[in-house]
Amino acid sequence: MKSGVRLAAYAVVCVSIFVLPSSGQSQTYKGKELVKAELLADTNAIVPGKPFAIGLLLRMAPGWHTYWKFSGDAGLPTEIKWKLPPGWKVGEIQWPIPLKTTDPGDIQTYGYQDEVLLVQEIAPSAAVSDSTVKLVAEANWLVCEKICIPGNASLELELPRSTTSAPANAEIFARYRRLLPRDWPGGKVASANWRRTGSDLRLNVKSATLANYPAVDFYPLPQGDTVVGHPRVESRSESEIIFRVPIESASPAGAGSSIDGLVVLAQHPNGDDRMAWRTEAPMIASAGSVPTRGIFTFLFFGFLGGIILNLMPCVLPVISLKIFGFIQHAGQSRQKILRSGIAFAGGIFAWFIGLALLLIALKAAGREITWGGFQFTNPYFVLALSVIVLVFALDLFGVFEISLPQSVTRRLLSSSSGQHEAASFFQGLFATVLATPCTAPFLGTALGFAFAQSPAIILLMFVAIAAGMSAPYLLLCAQPAWLRFLPKPGPWMLHVKQFMGFLLLATLLFLLYVLGAQRGLEGAIWASCFLLIISIACWMKGAFVLPTASVAKRTIVLALMFVLVLASGIYFIGGKFRSTNVASADSRLRGDWQAFTPERLQADLDEGHSVFVDFTAAWCLTCKFNEANVLESNAVREAFQRHAIVKLKADWTSGDPVITKLLQRFGRPGVPLYVLYPGKSEEPIVFPELLTKGIILEKLETASRTVASQ
Amino acid sequence: MNTKTILTILTSLVAGAVFALDAPPVGSAAPDFSLTDAKGKTHSLSQYKGKYVVLEWFNPECPFVKKHYGSGNMQKLQEEYTGKGITWLTIDSNAPGSEGNLTADAASKVMTGWKTHQTALLLDPEGKAGRAYGAKNTPNMVVINPEGKIVYEGAIDSKATPNPADISSSTNYVKVALDESLAGKPITTSTTKPYGCSVKYK
Repeated sequence: MKSGVRLAAYAVVCVSIFVLPSSGQSQTYKGKELVKAELLADTNAIVPGKPFAIGLLLRMAPGWHTYWKFSGDAGLPTEIKWKLPPGWKVGEIQWPIPLKTTDPGDIQTYGYQDEVLLVQEIAPSAAVSDSTVKLVAEANWLVCEKICIPGNASLELELPRSTTSAPANAEIFARYRRLLPRDWPGGKVASANWRRTGSDLRLNVKSATLANYPAVDFYPLPQGDTVVGHPRVESRSESEIIFRVPIESASPAGAGSSIDGLVVLAQHPNGDDRMAWRTEAPMIASAGSVPTRGIFTFLFFGFLGGIILNLMPCVLPVISLKIFGFIQHAGQSRQKILRSGIAFAGGIFAWFIGLALLLIALKAAGREITWGGFQFTNPYFVLALSVIVLVFALDLFGVFEISLPQSVTRRLLSSSSGQHEAASFFQGLFATVLATPCTAPFLGTALGFAFAQSPAIILLMFVAIAAGMSAPYLLLCAQPAWLRFLPKPGPWMLHVKQFMGFLLLATLLFLLYVLGAQRGLEGAIWASCFLLIISIACWMKGAFVLPTASVAKRTIVLALMFVLVLASGIYFIGGKFRSTNVASADSRLRGDWQAFTPERLQADLDEGHSVFVDFTAAWCLTCKFNEANVLESNAVREAFQRHAIVKLKADWTSGDPVITKLLQRFGRPGVPLYVLYPGKSEEPIVFPELLTKGIILEKLETASRTVASQ
Repeated sequence: MNTKTILTILTSLVAGAVFALDAPPVGSAAPDFSLTDAKGKTHSLSQYKGKYVVLEWFNPECPFVKKHYGSGNMQKLQEEYTGKGITWLTIDSNAPGSEGNLTADAASKVMTGWKTHQTALLLDPEGKAGRAYGAKNTPNMVVINPEGKIVYEGAIDSKATPNPADISSSTNYVKVALDESLAGKPITTSTTKPYGCSVKYK
């Protein structure tokens, strides 16, 4: 079938060469033909609504050249203005990688010699009434040898309307398509980093691919008023190259911290084998789904996500403590309740705004930033959280009471005394710290959007999330009458309090599981040893540091506690835990899942397989939920098998930078992310963060259908 | 500081030295030069200290230069500002044998034929003055203040085309820079990307 179509296409191409009217025009100067211009289409007919490519072919006399989009120190880029029927659209010029010429006086220009095809995508409207369509273009160029001559031509190309079409001019289009710059490869293939010092930008490219190309250069594509000097190679090694790009605009700061351009790789300068990677100002190129929704939609998602955070399993124990506080407050004055609620919300806001500022600072410093993993990929963060959770649990059990140094009872949790604003504030803060691993649905997308934006929008987004998370409490405080619906306080509250302690222990188990996933069983055991000592210290405080005890006795016990915690910290954490190795993700693979690497993905796609990638992490509860209920369900497993889809697991538990890059390419700040690559040439399909069996099965069906129909 | 850092600093210093051959930035001292004009008279920049000086790189064959002379735009500017006591030096830095290189005779002919109004058309066949200013295009414009500092360098106007019809709708950066300078105001646009043909250096 396939070859039949192709054969027919060739036949049509051959015929069409003779049938189609030639539309070439020449630019002559002093009797010499300098440039011959004509239009070429990659199709023999126009199918309404079906996009095709059209190219301006310029053939230059030997020694003469026309210019690239950025012409360099002299010259002008070629311009094409289209006159198209109403409803038709034309894309930007797809500029092939140019040749770089340096003339005496250090004059560098970028252009094309002999011949160039400037291709543009044309999208015809869905309704075409005429049986033939005339496409008219006005082309302007500057052609230079020693002297420069402006040229122009009014060109036209007539194509018949049809219900089917076959490729035309395939060879030349393919030849110039090969010369188009590619998107930044990302992943393990290449990394790019911009740095600004004074009026200079430095682009640092790291890639093993560089070793195969002796000639590597950077061709700038400055935007707007930016004036760039000549990029120069500052240093180069096997797999790393640093370009210095001077900015010569009057106010270099206005040019931003990076510029667009091409990293051009070749065997020798201007080699025919040259290929190029396009750098983009924000290196977070989104593949597949580009967020096109407006900022308010995303802020609203942030707000919704914030509300949902309250129900996440990692937050619930702390939240229940707050509800518990409300129950106690039920009988108290409205003002008091309001103050406590505002303080709680203040804690939530403080954490989120603090986090936003930190992320903005990191982003400004050129670091890659991500959400959940930002904290949870770090085992010491998880460890610190474990300690906090344990200490709170022990407090709830009544082993000891947390009190701030001044024995003026500023209780954090059992706030029976007057000053519970501080306690509420810390509760809010604590609840939010625990919320971070649960990137709730909506929140992922919203944050992914925000991270690619300006600092102001990042901040706004976090404020929206904080507002969402604190909304229920503020509402309850503003309408204390609703507290009526909560039960009356009584001795039962002691039991609830102790029960909450067990919920916190459950959270602790989860944290230990994460530590185990990161540092193996040994890591989890050494961490537990440290936690045991912490528990003993807490018990010592509860049993011996009593208000009735003498100052001397209290001091001795406190000192002992301190020494105990310090010594065990140094031994268990600084020594044993630190020396445990990062657990390999392979050990967590189960069933027919394989560990993800960009190479494996590429290899599987090259072999013609469809590939499903599960971006996951041990600490990601949403991921675990999806895996248990959807991905590992019999129906889905069977569907994967039936369609012979390769299943890859990208484990982000320890924050693998390769996976971080990929997450960013999909505009996601963290896991979960589910992507189906139907085939080599198809766009990847991105699934929502909360999976259902239905959506997986449906997409698997459609994907395998499109692959089969090719 | 490790070896790598030291090496990086060294290479950037070297690169900086190489780069120094490029255009001296706005705000720096204008390099002095001494060239003969179409009549064989020698002009040096230092003799015009205390006055505003405009430098204009020139190539009579270049379509971008022709755009501004064919339309009378350049002559009008020259007339207006030399009338206000400003020195206007047109410089031809194209090497002998390349198009646009003028002998003294040819230069005189162009000046009378095109009815130009500059203070002098200077011949720079060795490209010394051109290289000192990093002039890469024709036209390429530089404005120097009475203290001998460069206050503007770049294009003549905002529309980088060879089409004379675009002149009326473009902003003439040189005119704006001179008017602002003469009025004692700071210059709003002091650096732009020059456009035009390349200077054909030796």
